[in-house]
Amino acid sequence: MDAISGLVLGFGVILTPENLYWCFVGSILGTLLGVLPGIGPLVALSVLLPVTFGMPPVAAIAMLAAIFYGASYGGSISSILVNIPGDASSIVTAIEGNQMALNGRAGVALGMSAICSFIASTVSLVFLSFLSPVLAEFAVRMGPPEYAALVVLGLICTLMMIRGSILKGLVMLSFGAFVASVGIDVVTGTQRFAYGSVNLISGFDLIAIVIGLFGVSEILLNIEQIFQNKPVKTRLRDLWPTKKDWKDSAMPIARGTGLGFCLGLIPGGGPITASFMSYAIEKRAAERKGHRFGTGRIEGVAGPESANNAAVSGGMIPLLSLGIPGNPVTAILLGALVIQGVQPGPMMIQQYPEVFWGVIASMYVGNVFLLLLNLPLVGLWVQLLRIPYVALFPTILLLAIVGSYASNKNMYDVWVMLGFGVLGYGLRKLEYDLAPLILAVVLGPLLEESLRQSMVMSPDGLMIFAHRPMSVALLSLAALVIGFSLYSRFNRRRPKCTII
Amino acid sequence: MYNYITKTAAGLAVAIAWAVSGPALANDDIAAKLAEMKPDGFPSEVIEINVVYPAGGGMDLNARILARVFERITGDSVVVNNRTGGAGLVGHSYIASQAPNDGHTVGVIANLVFADSMIRSEGAWSYEDLDPIAYLNSDGLILVVNSQGPMAEKSLAEIIETAKSEPGTIRITNVPGSMYEYMIEQLESETGASFLKVPFQGGAPGVAAVLGNNVDIAIAFLGEVRSHIDGDRVRPVAVSGSERSPFVDAPTLNEVLNTDDVVWQATRWVTLPKGVDPERRAYLAAAFIAAAADEETQKEFQALGATTNMSYDTPEAVAEHVNRLANLERTFFENTGRLEN
Repeated sequence: MDAISGLVLGFGVILTPENLYWCFVGSILGTLLGVLPGIGPLVALSVLLPVTFGMPPVAAIAMLAAIFYGASYGGSISSILVNIPGDASSIVTAIEGNQMALNGRAGVALGMSAICSFIASTVSLVFLSFLSPVLAEFAVRMGPPEYAALVVLGLICTLMMIRGSILKGLVMLSFGAFVASVGIDVVTGTQRFAYGSVNLISGFDLIAIVIGLFGVSEILLNIEQIFQNKPVKTRLRDLWPTKKDWKDSAMPIARGTGLGFCLGLIPGGGPITASFMSYAIEKRAAERKGHRFGTGRIEGVAGPESANNAAVSGGMIPLLSLGIPGNPVTAILLGALVIQGVQPGPMMIQQYPEVFWGVIASMYVGNVFLLLLNLPLVGLWVQLLRIPYVALFPTILLLAIVGSYASNKNMYDVWVMLGFGVLGYGLRKLEYDLAPLILAVVLGPLLEESLRQSMVMSPDGLMIFAHRPMSVALLSLAALVIGFSLYSRFNRRRPKCTII
Repeated sequence: MYNYITKTAAGLAVAIAWAVSGPALANDDIAAKLAEMKPDGFPSEVIEINVVYPAGGGMDLNARILARVFERITGDSVVVNNRTGGAGLVGHSYIASQAPNDGHTVGVIANLVFADSMIRSEGAWSYEDLDPIAYLNSDGLILVVNSQGPMAEKSLAEIIETAKSEPGTIRITNVPGSMYEYMIEQLESETGASFLKVPFQGGAPGVAAVLGNNVDIAIAFLGEVRSHIDGDRVRPVAVSGSERSPFVDAPTLNEVLNTDDVVWQATRWVTLPKGVDPERRAYLAAAFIAAAADEETQKEFQALGATTNMSYDTPEAVAEHVNRLANLERTFFENTGRLEN
């Protein structure tokens, strides 16, 4: 069955009142849960999984998938408005997005974020519809050495976004790597830095770290400003992107979509890495044109938001075509399919065409719902800023506590979250950039695992990277990035220039 | 022979009676029996089924199927709670040593609890602090090779020969500190072969590696590899269950190795913490055994590729089976120096 007739079948399946209803419910729930800090798609899906048991397969997966990509829309809203990421993949959106809000352009940032999320998702879905089998084949050929090379490239690219002192950035990077190394050793299975504690064996939960570092620390900083009688004023000037905004955003959307889609394909890549890399690239591109990031540039919203949404769609390819979930959220989707009697994998298109194409069609439809929901609601979301801080901050803190507890049902994670909150507050007061820290926490374990797998597999040590064409290509690209950055750094002699 | 005939006849009679009266009546009987057994004032709150692994995984799906049927036949409210962390250690230690034993906290666990109890708990708790009440199913590890790769035409015996003559050349997926590792070790010690063990964080990433020809043999549970077997992308060379799997066309490891103790499978059951009031325990045991034996549950378990066994139909039978598995594992740990004799 070719893609066109497949899509026709899929739309035929999804365009029934019942399926549309569940897709719509999923979109709303996803957005809402995305807006709330700490309660992301992972928590939502694990709570709602049993609800879908009685539903027909397409309706169940359409709803769960809609929650997944809806959360990605919603996550940027709290990033932009209150500088607290709703989910981990919108951490970087907060950097420029919140600055835009402070400049009175919250509406523009929100609108652009919804529009580019829609464009990126839809474009990726077209790729997904037509190239799924080919791309799945490509992704599966990536072995540990290729992963290791890819993570190295990712780390190098994102090093470009370290703000302020290089030394402080490297300190944060090392600290992040240390935090990530707590837990069970991936190769030997022995415990590291656990000191006999049952809780430390599982390391630190990523969700707890993100909520603490970015959410709690932001609240603490704001409370301080309130006490100093300096209320944070957000003015509302424009609500819609201007012609210039569109012009500035076009390329970032294109780049973000391409990047996000490719990273989504690869298990372990996913929306978080995609948004970070996109931010780094856009920052670089904007600075070459003489624009300063950190002042509320729309490119810093358009790029990462396109990237994380494209990565969500891209991530459906290994899930549906290979039955390999790339992250915990797609793992739950896999479980939901299995419990419906549908085994995702290479046989799925033949065995369950109506489910395969129905789910894909539902994603097209869901993204339209989300756009229609989000654009008119921009005004409403912005009203959130009018909520007095005495009400807003305790609510967010409460949600942060619920969110960090809900993923593992373990009070220990709440303490971790609060601990990282205080730590994040201290580090921000001392002008340390938190981005390299969280990046090391996300990418560190991936690099460690793939590097050590490569070393185990290799008969002649590091030479394994030279024997495999794709790893050679990726590592050369990384070397090029370093070389080029050093070159331009020494040529331009701009003292304010960041690390590379 | 006589025995066989009477059993078949009895089975037929039951089947006919069931077909005539219909499943509704059978369910009503069970529901009525359970209603009669239900202790006064119990349950006074939602019964919490603890799963020590994340949502969406094999254990979680088993527990959620069971929970749904349990609710239907008892009318009690149940919630499935994923108490994850430390690769199961957090949840196991919770059920064994912290969970209230008033009958409202239940665990759906697997034999992975033994390694946690004997090796990782460091004496803080033991699997003997748990009280098994109902058996669910088992699921053997499967060894697969790529259907188009260098091992495509080879049997496991031939692969083992290669791993003996050229030690360390056959790459096999491993999950360190788990059943996967124990299985490979036993395979090596039984045959004298030596494999190159490439570490992964579970079965599914290992399957991806064998598909991309980055390893030669992958080890996985059926659910993780079934679609690739059906799609002829990988070929199963052995299963490590106590018997062959109806879903996989491959011999057991014991058949290949001429042994009888190479069995590595996930065995799942329902447990209570020790010390639950006898009346409540009897009710819960009857209800979970009925839920596990329910037609819907059996169908769903088979859809997941698990092998069910109806003969463990009392808490005592379940406990006996669990203890036998524990002793087998203890012997392995002692033989490999993981535990002192």
